[in-house]
Amino acid sequence: MNTPPPRSADVSESLVAPAREAPRDADLAFDDLYRSCRDDLFAYASGLLCDAAAAEEVTATAFERAFRRRRSFDRRRGAPRAWLFGIARNAALDELRRRRRLAELPEESPDPSADLDEDADRRVKLGVVRSAFENLGPRDRELISLKFFAGLSNREIADVLDTSESNAGTRLHRTITKLRKACHETA
Amino acid sequence: MRLREDDALDSRVERELAALDAAMAGDGVDPDLADLAELAAALAEMRETPSAKFAAELDSRAAAGFTRRREGADLWRRFRAAPLHRRLMPAGAAALAAIVVATAVVSSRGGQDDVGFDASGGAGGTTIEPAPQPAPVLDESSGSPGIRRDQASAAVGEVRLKGTVGNAGPFASGERRRFVERSAELTLGTEPEQVQRVADDVFGAVGRYGGIVLSSSIEDGPEGQAGAQFTLLIPSPRLDAALADLSQIAEVRSRQENAQDITAPVVSARERLREARAEVEGLLKQLAAADTDEERAAVKAQLRFQRRRVAGLRATKNGLERRANLSRVSLEVVTGDAVSFGADEGGAWTIGDAIDDAGRVLAVAAGVTLVGLAVLAPIALLAALALLGRRAWVRQGRERALEG
Repeated sequence: MNTPPPRSADVSESLVAPAREAPRDADLAFDDLYRSCRDDLFAYASGLLCDAAAAEEVTATAFERAFRRRRSFDRRRGAPRAWLFGIARNAALDELRRRRRLAELPEESPDPSADLDEDADRRVKLGVVRSAFENLGPRDRELISLKFFAGLSNREIADVLDTSESNAGTRLHRTITKLRKACHETA
Repeated sequence: MRLREDDALDSRVERELAALDAAMAGDGVDPDLADLAELAAALAEMRETPSAKFAAELDSRAAAGFTRRREGADLWRRFRAAPLHRRLMPAGAAALAAIVVATAVVSSRGGQDDVGFDASGGAGGTTIEPAPQPAPVLDESSGSPGIRRDQASAAVGEVRLKGTVGNAGPFASGERRRFVERSAELTLGTEPEQVQRVADDVFGAVGRYGGIVLSSSIEDGPEGQAGAQFTLLIPSPRLDAALADLSQIAEVRSRQENAQDITAPVVSARERLREARAEVEGLLKQLAAADTDEERAAVKAQLRFQRRRVAGLRATKNGLERRANLSRVSLEVVTGDAVSFGADEGGAWTIGDAIDDAGRVLAVAAGVTLVGLAVLAPIALLAALALLGRRAWVRQGRERALEG
């Protein structure tokens, strides 16, 4: 009867070591999520908080919390992107709650009447929109930020806000209408 | 509150939302919605991007696996920056929790905190504790005229009141002569053929000390089945000597002595008896001075009641004194191996013993687990409620933050 060749300890170790260090699926998926959402998350936080420094803090906190909970993520409860923005939302609201005040405007709003040329006209329009946006309440700013800054679909917004898609659409339309009205009044 | 508007969107709303999506995707929109497209474009242009420095820093942290930052330091900094009343809140909550726990512990112990001590438990041990109340019913050995159970209960209540407010105090500490009810349990081991001889010796010892055999039961048979049981009353002053003699009759397997101070109930019963007798004396005088038949009948009725009361109280007092004067001894004669935890002196430790011991260990472990659960379950429930409350509070706080 042939005896099997003895195993080599060296070979065994060399096989085990990389396997132990190999990133898990959750780590790989989180890496993808991070790369695809980093800027969007910052844009959302910045829009909601109107404060770049606070937005950086919230973005970092959100990724940190999400990284710690990455293995408890349940795909059946929603898309990873909505899950991440839900965490970011909590972090942003915690920041808002802590400060209990709106961040100071990052810069002076331009005077809408100072129209000189086409580029200046565009800047004026942008200033009007920015001014109107910053005068919105946090709840409205959040919707705008999720939609236009983070680029979330209405379905994803509904998941983040824990509501139905039609409700998210209705609220978004209401906010846009309010913003349009504010822009017209400012202009 | 979760908002749910599951109805289909209004066609105008749907059209404008679609126009927004189209504008964001760079597609054209209907001319009447051009301003909406312009607004979407302006908003998209307002989108902030992270600074290169922050992006690089975050990328490096992502590559390192987002190691936890100094959250403890941040919390401490926030705690120190918080107003004084907020900083005092955790201390107040901790103090409140301590008070609640202490109250629960104290109340759960209830009336079991009376003065007393256990000198020892097990063979030869003596336990002394003060009697909280007199026995509600007479000892069956008292032989006194019986009082009804409800009367006895009423008497108990009055004794307690008097004991508490009277000069004797709850334990009659001012009383020089103490009344102590003593009892003992003795187990003797012998061979089956020696049971009758042991029983005879027991009768002899009881007679020598002027005691009474209240009950006895002797059974012949093989080892383990043969045995005897006695209930004895021994004059309390001679109990120690009697126990010493009884212990000489055969091998002592276990011995336990108990003592209970019943001075307070005795003193109380005496006082109440004295009062009742004084009442009777007073009624007799009223009866002698009564002028009409009606008065005499009324006084006689009260007299009958008071005399019954005197009789009951006298029986209570006598019973208590008898309990102090005569000590009850439960004596059991067993045959076969001694029942003890683990190996005994007389035999090898068998598989049966091991099974018995294992059963006891499991029972103790189960008991400890049960007690642990009884302690931990309310704590866990409170913790869960606190967690749920905190979550709800945080969620509401976040929503309030959006109100601006």
